[in-house]
Amino acid sequence: MRLHDLVHGLTRLPSGNDIEERPEPMSPPNTTTTTLRPTDLRELRDAVLDTPGTVSINGAGTAAGWAGALRPVDAVLDLTALTGVIIHNPGDMTVSVRAGTPLRELNDELAAHGQHVSLDAARIDDGATVGGLVATGDAGPSALVYGSPRDLVIGVTMVLADGTVARSGGHVIKNVAGYDLAKVLHGSFGTLGVLAEVVLRLHPRPRATATVALDCPLPEAAERGGQVLASPLEPVALEWVSGEPGSLLVRLEGTPDALPARVDRLRELLGPSARRHVGVVGARGRAVGRDGGADGAEDPWARHAELVRGGADRAVLRIGARPSRLPGLLADLPAGAAGTAGLGTGVATVTVPADAADAVAELHRRVHAAGGSSMLRARPASFAAPAWGPPPSALGVLRAVKTTLDPGGRFGPGRFDTWE
Amino acid sequence: MALDAGVRADFERALAPEDVISDPVRCRAYECDGLTGYRVVPELVLLPRDAGQVAAAVRVCHEHGVPFVARGAGTGLSGGAVPVADGVVISLARLKRVLQVDPVDRRAVLEPGVTNLEITKAAAHHGLYFAPDPSSQQVCTIGGNVAENSGGAHCLKYGFTTNHVLSLEVVLPDGSVVTLGGDSPEQAGPDLRGVFLGSEGTLGITTKITVRLLRTPESVRTLLADFPSISAAGEVVSDIVSAGIVPAAVEMMDTLAIEAAEQAVHAGYTVGVPAALVVELDGPEEEASTQFDQVKEICDRHGCTRLHIAGSPEERAAIWRGRKAAFAAVGRISPDYFVQDGVVPRTRLAEVLDRIAAMGRDAGIRVANVFHAGDGNLHPLVLYSAADGETKRAEKLSGEIAELCVELGGSLSGEHGIGTDKACSMPKMFSEDDLDVMRRVRVAFDPDGICNPGKVLPTPRLCGERPGKYRPHALEEAGVIERL
Repeated sequence: MRLHDLVHGLTRLPSGNDIEERPEPMSPPNTTTTTLRPTDLRELRDAVLDTPGTVSINGAGTAAGWAGALRPVDAVLDLTALTGVIIHNPGDMTVSVRAGTPLRELNDELAAHGQHVSLDAARIDDGATVGGLVATGDAGPSALVYGSPRDLVIGVTMVLADGTVARSGGHVIKNVAGYDLAKVLHGSFGTLGVLAEVVLRLHPRPRATATVALDCPLPEAAERGGQVLASPLEPVALEWVSGEPGSLLVRLEGTPDALPARVDRLRELLGPSARRHVGVVGARGRAVGRDGGADGAEDPWARHAELVRGGADRAVLRIGARPSRLPGLLADLPAGAAGTAGLGTGVATVTVPADAADAVAELHRRVHAAGGSSMLRARPASFAAPAWGPPPSALGVLRAVKTTLDPGGRFGPGRFDTWE
Repeated sequence: MALDAGVRADFERALAPEDVISDPVRCRAYECDGLTGYRVVPELVLLPRDAGQVAAAVRVCHEHGVPFVARGAGTGLSGGAVPVADGVVISLARLKRVLQVDPVDRRAVLEPGVTNLEITKAAAHHGLYFAPDPSSQQVCTIGGNVAENSGGAHCLKYGFTTNHVLSLEVVLPDGSVVTLGGDSPEQAGPDLRGVFLGSEGTLGITTKITVRLLRTPESVRTLLADFPSISAAGEVVSDIVSAGIVPAAVEMMDTLAIEAAEQAVHAGYTVGVPAALVVELDGPEEEASTQFDQVKEICDRHGCTRLHIAGSPEERAAIWRGRKAAFAAVGRISPDYFVQDGVVPRTRLAEVLDRIAAMGRDAGIRVANVFHAGDGNLHPLVLYSAADGETKRAEKLSGEIAELCVELGGSLSGEHGIGTDKACSMPKMFSEDDLDVMRRVRVAFDPDGICNPGKVLPTPRLCGERPGKYRPHALEEAGVIERL
């Protein structure tokens, strides 16, 4: 897809830039960049049609530095004004929203109906948009039961680089008519099309939640987690967070009447040192009820979210692998590394200090060798490690999809750098 | 135009001569799938014995531009496995090994010809099961489930095949072999696994499938409740949902469907009642028990005339036997029937059933209704007599019912697929641009157009020069969506 470079070079020639010029990774778009801020589908379509050259599709910016570094672009499509619920059908438990709507705001609105979008990715609290969450395929601990955005999106409207507006799916949960184009954009990092509207299936907000925590290192957490998964307790999240020695976190959801007995069974299973936190965790890692876990401890998921975010001067590598491989993959990490491990999902996050770029390259290799996949999320500007691991075997199809949907290579140049 | 001898020799080299069937009598066994109205006898039928032979056969197709149609058990209900004239059928029936059941990472690795029910049977002794459970689960295969993104009675709570497949080994239409998805649900890059799932055999052939297995629920509670009207039963469903309960299954049957099922399997349904609901809850004992009490109370509140609670696994099985037998059972009350498959938003169930009843009266055709009430997926059974010359009228009514679902903001198909049967109706649901983008994605996988051609997307050859006439979508008329 060297066409990217050609288009990029041609469109930037008038400003005198060299065709070979490359920005430093993570550098902001160049100063001549046009910013467009559509407020509805028509304006979005017109913005794509009327703006020549390369385009960065931006949401709230909570994942702006993830994946491959964006090369300088001619225009930024800022979707933060493309917001609002289009239609919410409480009886059908579906909602359609404009893609720039922050999920936090959407869930606040849905809460009045006792419903929510059951996603708990850490950056939702930072204002992540619905479109951004789909484009990055981002999910949190409750993906164990509810899945990731791919499992919750039932319809999309997209705008392609040539201005074509296309829809797939619809407003019903069960629907097999036509190809599921939402999946094409899921995890595409703004390189294939612009998500304009998204239809989501909703779940009832849990009426009661509780978390049981057990301090232990990862290998033990994996073993104990296995026992929890083999039990009939049906956790909605099962994660290990690093620390000294680290903690296994098990979250249950249910009804106020039935949950306490399940929590008791879970504590029995995990032993006397397991701590109980009642009603601490809500749908997005925020309190849903009265806080003050029985043992008075702080929200154990706050640290999980903090590790997933990474923080300043740290690089965040996201990993997906067989759950049983995680203890091996996360062993022998460099000094100062920290992370989380989804013991049911196989999704892990590793954060490393700014000087540990070699460790990330090595992790890419190890994860790939173990059959998994990995991607670099946020990292310091100077962090020199590849964003992606080795390309998947279906790279040819990915390239063909890119060519057919965005033949001029307009959207998100550089995001899939080493795969392009 | 018949395939020339050279092509056939290439297939015989790719497989084994005895695995390449050309005898028209034997080929005739592959002329249709579960939707028997569409029939095409293939030129050749290929019976590969492993994934390598599937890839080799597809490479021959690619070299010679021979169209191919993959086939599992042939239980599909939309003509998705109808052969292409001058093409070959690639049967996956011999790829039927359960390659691995991994109780630690709770997954199974399967060849495409493994039946849906065999997966659960192979996993059961670990306390695990495979959640999607289409009614045909005893015979339908996982390869077909992947192609159709099959659901089943329990998909309201547990989702569809797409939510349970981790990775797919796929032979692309050029014969190359790739893996879509991977070891965890979260994969780097666009979700090609999700694009392939439900693509009805038009993007390639899957030769190995890794699925998630779930822990068998501790408690399962099932009840069968009779109601004085369809709308009363519908209100029960709404109230269950409003109470924040996500049942494992909610199924509804009307008088005709109950009568047929009861005649066939004597499952203990009440003949003559206007509506029966099957509600199933599962999960940890404490939760299922609490919610079951709520459901019983909701049933009583809406005038339930009889509440039968399954007191044993056998009684539960009997309730499901009645429900799952309903399709075939209508053969007892009608010489012929079409099974329709449309979806409406759940809140419009009563409205769509009224309209279907009126359309049936106008056409002089009886319609029995069995449906997944929790997710608005209808299966109207259009009853007719071919001998009495009712076929055309019944077929027309059946098609109109699917299009009515679109008009009410729903979908042409909830689980049976578009296939051959509904390809020409697609313009009722999607605009030309929508279909064009789907076509572009198809070409990215299959640039030569040899992989199950003529299915899913309308073509001028199939539907006439102007395949269907565009009408504003119901959501467009309501101002919910706009065409630019």
